[in-house]
Amino acid sequence: MDVSDARTSEARLIDELLAFIASGDIEGIGDDAFNRLALRVFAHQFDHNAPYRRFAVQRGRTPRTVRSWREVPAVPISAFKDLTLSCRPPEECERVFMTSGTTRGVRGKSHHPTLAVYDRSMTANFARRFMPADPGRPDQRQARLRMGILFPTEEAMPNSSLAHYLALALREFGTSDSRHFIGDGGLDVAAVTAELERAERDGEPYALLGASYGFVHLMDALRALGRRFSLPAGSRILDTGGFKGQSRELEPDEFYECLSAFFGVPRSACINMYGMTELSTQFYDDGNAVCPSVKSGPHWIRSRLINPLTGEEVPDGAVGVLVHHDLAHFNCASAILTEDAGIAAGGRFRLLGRADGADAKGCSMAVEEFLKAARP
Amino acid sequence: MAAHDAEIAGHLPGLAADEVAWRTLAFARGGETLEVAVPALDEAQVARLAAHVRAAACRLRERPVGAIAAAIDLAVARLLDRSDPWRRKAERLLPLVTGYDAEMVRLGLTSYLKTFRRPQLQTFLVEDFGNPLVLDDFQPIPKGGFARAFGPGLLLHVWAGNVPGLPLWSLVSGLLVKAGTVGKLPSAEPLFAGWFARILAEVDPDLADCLAVVWWKGGDRGGDEAQERAWLAQADTVLAYGGTEALDAIRRRLPVTTRFLPYGHRISFAMVARSALDTGKAQAVAGRAAWDVMRYDQQGCYSPQTIFVERGGRVSPRDFAGYLAGELAGLEIRHPRRALSLEEAGSVAAWRHAEETKGFADPGRTLLGDPAGAWSVACVDGPGGGLGEAALAPCGLNRTVTVVALDRLEDAVLGLVPYRAFLQTAGIAAAPEELFRLSGLLGGAGVTRVCALGRMTAPEAGWHHDGRFNLLDLVTLTEIEHSAEQAADDFARYAD
Amino acid sequence: MKFRDRTVLVTGASRGIGAAIARAFAAEGATVVVNYLRNAEAAEWVAAECRSLGGDGWALQADVTDDGAVRAMADRLSDELGRLDAIVNNAFRPYAFDPEKRALFWDLEWGDYRSQVDGALKGTFTVCRAMLPLLRRRPGGSIVNMATDLVARPTVPYHDYATAKSALVGFSRNLAAELGPLGIRVNCVAPGLVYPTDASRSTREDVKDRIIAQTPLRRIATPEDMAGPVLFLASDWSRFMTGQTLYVDGGLVMG
Repeated sequence: MDVSDARTSEARLIDELLAFIASGDIEGIGDDAFNRLALRVFAHQFDHNAPYRRFAVQRGRTPRTVRSWREVPAVPISAFKDLTLSCRPPEECERVFMTSGTTRGVRGKSHHPTLAVYDRSMTANFARRFMPADPGRPDQRQARLRMGILFPTEEAMPNSSLAHYLALALREFGTSDSRHFIGDGGLDVAAVTAELERAERDGEPYALLGASYGFVHLMDALRALGRRFSLPAGSRILDTGGFKGQSRELEPDEFYECLSAFFGVPRSACINMYGMTELSTQFYDDGNAVCPSVKSGPHWIRSRLINPLTGEEVPDGAVGVLVHHDLAHFNCASAILTEDAGIAAGGRFRLLGRADGADAKGCSMAVEEFLKAARP
Repeated sequence: MAAHDAEIAGHLPGLAADEVAWRTLAFARGGETLEVAVPALDEAQVARLAAHVRAAACRLRERPVGAIAAAIDLAVARLLDRSDPWRRKAERLLPLVTGYDAEMVRLGLTSYLKTFRRPQLQTFLVEDFGNPLVLDDFQPIPKGGFARAFGPGLLLHVWAGNVPGLPLWSLVSGLLVKAGTVGKLPSAEPLFAGWFARILAEVDPDLADCLAVVWWKGGDRGGDEAQERAWLAQADTVLAYGGTEALDAIRRRLPVTTRFLPYGHRISFAMVARSALDTGKAQAVAGRAAWDVMRYDQQGCYSPQTIFVERGGRVSPRDFAGYLAGELAGLEIRHPRRALSLEEAGSVAAWRHAEETKGFADPGRTLLGDPAGAWSVACVDGPGGGLGEAALAPCGLNRTVTVVALDRLEDAVLGLVPYRAFLQTAGIAAAPEELFRLSGLLGGAGVTRVCALGRMTAPEAGWHHDGRFNLLDLVTLTEIEHSAEQAADDFARYAD
Repeated sequence: MKFRDRTVLVTGASRGIGAAIARAFAAEGATVVVNYLRNAEAAEWVAAECRSLGGDGWALQADVTDDGAVRAMADRLSDELGRLDAIVNNAFRPYAFDPEKRALFWDLEWGDYRSQVDGALKGTFTVCRAMLPLLRRRPGGSIVNMATDLVARPTVPYHDYATAKSALVGFSRNLAAELGPLGIRVNCVAPGLVYPTDASRSTREDVKDRIIAQTPLRRIATPEDMAGPVLFLASDWSRFMTGQTLYVDGGLVMG
């Protein structure tokens, strides 16, 4: 395949994807339309992404043999660390997002020749899941909210998909006085408190967004100061990413209880976003009144829960490992096998956390422990 | 679903069953279910039980060690007798609880229990003491004077893991040194140790009185910390099995005066020399290696995770990997792997995926075995012999193993260095002079046990677990110095 | 579908028994490599049929007795399919089966034997050698070699042909012993007279009638009759069988 071929194929695909994302509400999209586009995307990735092609061939799955999106071979996310999974040469890509490299120190990469699809995917979904005027009325949306971001800026972290996501949220959905609270000097607690006090006074709904561990840091600081807030009705919180060893680990119930207590935002307005560097689309829950909450995504992403060894889907209600099929992730690999466990709930899922790193049942040394032992 | 009658776990001499709170552990396999009631003691009960065991152990000091060995032999004989009700129960329930193949459990039990018969126990004793009578009375010692060995008044065993019968090793060690013994059952296999205590109670009630088998929920999250602390405070010596973190947690809770004997997780490997790789021998060697991989689904610290294979033999490392794969495929039918938890399946899948991914970049790497199958063999046969990265690496366990090709087996030794503290068994197939040369190098690198392939998971009687003196580590010596004996002469009635 | 996600190489698959076997694998979901020597059009047609039957078909030209050509084919399979689960060695050198015009022993030259040994044995040998690395990547590989029931019952003594096929049976047994420990099985399918195929097209009715009269199942084999036993031997339904020869001739040969 020559380069122009790849670009033509990509350009056509992007048009189709943008149209598909725009094509409206989830209920209207049948399996057929998703399937057709999924097979198109698979063929594109098979033709232009050599390592993915080898992977697919190894699995005995090629565009000729695959008939359903469920059969598209899902790349284990660990492979993003070792392989360059990109249809376009990396140097031609507008942006590379990298994982934070929590294990092994090697970072997984996702290449984006253009962020047009990523951004459209994010904004269309964000508007629906985080911007309703009130949780009961998903059709009536706020155009903009005053936002505070507990995460560094995109300029400070150009390879962080989360930094981009939050910057996009601020730009597309934040009022002009929205701002970041993490700068070179770390978390600016004084600025956050001043801002939250102002929000309390103004009575306008306020939105705090950031990494889960950022909220822990903030709450620890507030606890030390003896401060609590009662944000106006309609205020909301979005956390994502878990604690990643960056802060204390909290059980979800405790975490949302604390958020609610410190900021006066009901747990039902505390939304958790589940996303990953290896995807271009995010999942959200409808608040965390009950944990673990049910997550779902828009119509251009589908998830399956499988037994990681056999690849077979587990029945509804059973625990499996999540496989996501994100059509918007057109340049890398749309189907990815995560290391996250979940429970299937009719097309949606409850997220349970990491599924790997089992302790040995016996006294034989397992990988995680071994890696720790090998570290100086 | 066929539900078995509930089992009562543990052994609580001096405590009545109805004064103790019981928790239930549920096990299921296929259509069979079993509930196991495990005791959950409060702190006062811990204290009473500890006092009971201590007092009984004091009386034990008067019994000759030979008599204790004879009693253990009687109990072991019951478990070796396939028509004995205890043995039949073990064959029926241990596969259900652990998930291991029933035939594998049956064969494993017999070969394991054979190492605790009376002659083997004598071997055990002589290995560590030379003169086992030192456990009974003061014995003359070479430097002059006399010495007698005393076991701890209260020895606490914290057992872990699901390999059936594993607790027996340390339990018997404690009894032989006449320690008051309290063992904590592993939640993954909470039956065997309690059964053994109750068989002892049938054959020798006095001995069984020195032995309690208890349970508490371990772990930092939701563990029964109160009971754990109570037991740790009672014990003179604590012998614990587990991972680094679990052992560290125990160590941190122990009074400084308590002796701590940790047995952490270990990694073991095999080596196959060129001399074992002709067309007449290679298949049989691969068969024995596969057996070691299959046994207890690699859950034992002695289970091989990497097999180093020397280049230059008639059968290449890659072909050896093929034979190994073929043998594992056959063993899967004969002794199927147990059903894996989602986490375990995830570990195997993660290992497989990593090997597969590396294979895209490196044609010297091959991964054999079906993703949905019950075994996998990775073969690393690169120009650097896979030594670019640490050649010894844990696999995904549960019948996954890496064959690493080397020009010379000693090339593996350097890669072992970072893991010195974790090395245990090396199964070796090599000619005698190579065996001894390699053993010297491996011992220097931290390996504590060298055995034949096919015997990795069946240590012989008297094995020094992790290179330690299992009995000697438990005792303290009381020495009567020559001066005391001499001085005593002056005070004798018959002194001139 | 028994062969979903499985890849099978059938040599000499552009027509006759080979084509029938290829179609049967495809109908069970297999990706079938339709190897052929000369008739590209026929092979493409078989490949297309494979695709329409629910599997995949890929026509690949290679003279199975040409080591270089077979190696090239192996490389392509390795690169583009990445796996091979079964091989059916079906290609053979053309032979005229005519009981009334067959060569008598004293008419034959050693060259006739050698030609048939090359056709039956060398092709199978060459394919097995070249494909083995690929076959060994996965457990449960299977090789099925097409023999003839004449090796057990020379109804008509086609000396050179049947001797070569007898050698193939011996070859298969030895290979089975060698590859068994690696988890790869080798078996033979031995058809009786199969009609219609190009080789049997000119067989006269009275010959067929005579065979039918002696055949318990009272008819001549069709190419499709070979598919079942071949698929059986290629699948894990026969996972504990190796070194065997299945006679598929309606009971003409028993035991």
